[in-house]
Amino acid sequence: MNFIKDTNIGQAWLVILISVVFGMSLSGIQALLGPKIEENKLKETLEKVPVLVLGQKASDALAAKGESLKITSSTVSIDKNGIKKFYSLYRAEFKNGTTAGWVAKTGGQGYADKIELLLGMDAYAKSVTGVFVLEQKETPGLGNKIVEDDWRAQFNNKATETPFNVVKQGKGGVNMIEAISGATISSRSVTKLVNQAISDLKPRVTQMQTSDGKGDK
Amino acid sequence: MNYLIDIFLISLSAAIINNFIFYYFVGCCPFIGVSRRVDMAFGMGCAVTFVITIAAFLSWGITTMVLMPGAPLSSFIAGFFVSKESAATVDLIALSYIVYIFAIAFSVQFVEMYMRKFFPALYKSFGVFLPLITTNCAILFACLTIMSNVAGVENPADAWDLGRSLVFSFFGGVGFTIAIVIMAGIREELDLCDIPEPFKGAAITLIIGGIISLAFMGFTGVDSGIRNAITPVQEAAMLESVVPVQTAMVEPNLQQKIRGIND
Amino acid sequence: MADQPTASERFIQGILPENPVYRQLLGLCSTLAVTNGMKSAITMACSVAFVLICANVAISMIRDLLKPHLRIVVFTLIIAAFVTIADRVLAAYFYQMSKTLGPYIPLIIVNCIIICRCEVCASKQSVFIAASDALGQSLGFGLALSSIAVIREILGTGSLFGIHILPASWPDWVIMVLPPGAFITLGLLLGFVNWLAMRKSGGKI
Repeated sequence: MNFIKDTNIGQAWLVILISVVFGMSLSGIQALLGPKIEENKLKETLEKVPVLVLGQKASDALAAKGESLKITSSTVSIDKNGIKKFYSLYRAEFKNGTTAGWVAKTGGQGYADKIELLLGMDAYAKSVTGVFVLEQKETPGLGNKIVEDDWRAQFNNKATETPFNVVKQGKGGVNMIEAISGATISSRSVTKLVNQAISDLKPRVTQMQTSDGKGDK
Repeated sequence: MNYLIDIFLISLSAAIINNFIFYYFVGCCPFIGVSRRVDMAFGMGCAVTFVITIAAFLSWGITTMVLMPGAPLSSFIAGFFVSKESAATVDLIALSYIVYIFAIAFSVQFVEMYMRKFFPALYKSFGVFLPLITTNCAILFACLTIMSNVAGVENPADAWDLGRSLVFSFFGGVGFTIAIVIMAGIREELDLCDIPEPFKGAAITLIIGGIISLAFMGFTGVDSGIRNAITPVQEAAMLESVVPVQTAMVEPNLQQKIRGIND
Repeated sequence: MADQPTASERFIQGILPENPVYRQLLGLCSTLAVTNGMKSAITMACSVAFVLICANVAISMIRDLLKPHLRIVVFTLIIAAFVTIADRVLAAYFYQMSKTLGPYIPLIIVNCIIICRCEVCASKQSVFIAASDALGQSLGFGLALSSIAVIREILGTGSLFGIHILPASWPDWVIMVLPPGAFITLGLLLGFVNWLAMRKSGGKI
């Protein structure tokens, strides 16, 4: 029996036993909590959809009535000169089947790091219904302000015909977004992402909407 | 060309803009306790860079081949026990932390053996600090970043390949080296300064680290600026061709998938 | 064996005299990274407490079976397993906080506090003493994190736990919630604690 103890297995039996025990318990934990974590990730996006598509008041009214929008997701791939870009597209429908609007998840380079945002559009992508910033690492106190309601509200109810442009001061002009003072680049990055998503997805949304025959309200 | 720009920006970001010590705070322990000699600090930095690159290589390989949901090697092995469909969904990501720490321990052992053979004097001067590199947060942080960029991205086209992972880790190590060499140089000078008693040692090192971190903050936005400066030329050309290219490249079964969900 | 500290000694020592951050200078990565808000600091302190107590108890239970040259491997394995559990539980039930803390929860694995405690106490003493040592050290760690987080959050955002405390006219010292603020706050507090310790022990200033 002694020679077994001297071999590597004999020395390492504790390590192997612990590995097996913990490996199995970790797989068990993963099986138990994995679905909850996936659900959390999805909920993060899905619970923003009603507000983005309908606006705060209308979505509150809908929730008060106990109703909710039916949300279906799809992945759209856009091919530009050989470079593929993927968008997650969510279609929100009322109970009666008419389309309430669309939400696209898009991301790209901000000033400091990546910015991820949700863009809400109406049924035919003719106007923007809302913008929500999911993730950003911009400068706190300056670029950070892109998450504020007031600044994001500038995008609401604007037609998608003309692309958005950032001005440093003062409003006015079609689709002019006033930059956050001291955070021009963060403002520009968000605007550019919104423009990009609109130009990429508008033909696709229109196509899917008309071909499915589910008209808007 | 896009790939090279990506690599360049990742390396710049890892080394200077989002420096491991001054932005992410990983690797602080050797930074605070670093020796007062620049040559020792440089040797330490090189050893850490070496270990971090090997560890990154191992963790990228293992994550892609074994740990990811639906990874090739683990699906293949699971295929012997269960049906092909369930074998494709095997997800070992919960074991990733354990696997990474062992990969790091292995890399440190490897570097130790290499150093003992080829640089015995340096190996002796390191003493106990070499095995201590295993507990250096920077290496595990690099592995975790690679994991989140390989297994944690939503669409597979964004996942980091081996080149990006290696570049990120190597230049992260380079940034670490830059940081501790700067600190060692300053500490050499500190010996001649009149520092109040309570602040000698770690406290003054932290305050100086804070000031250097403030200086490094000036680099924020350099990578996004370079990216914006390089890409608009391509952007204008591409936007024109979006409409005609797009409808032709519609994925054939996507329409069916959407209809399937709606029904 | 006779001069090994008792359970209550371990507990008391861990809070202030052998405070893991201020006296032993361990676990600085986590300290600097999560202290820009009280919520993150408390969450991190609780996670470290969970891992430390579980790891100490587990290792203390198997301390007689440890081979000298493989013990670091065993420590690392056990700590990594408990950290994975803590990470998954946080992601399932506190998703937003898990996203804020990001990679710093898995970095608890290489947090020197835990390995040091396992090496110094858990592998040598009984379960009860190891548990009280872990408790003391966790309290000390939590105290250290809170002291830094209070200063950084109040000065940097004018609020504590997200609730505004300072009047609206306070210009936020944004630098405090950024990396330089972390370094400088910890450096100044460390100097202050050193000064207190010197006064207590040496009488010299």
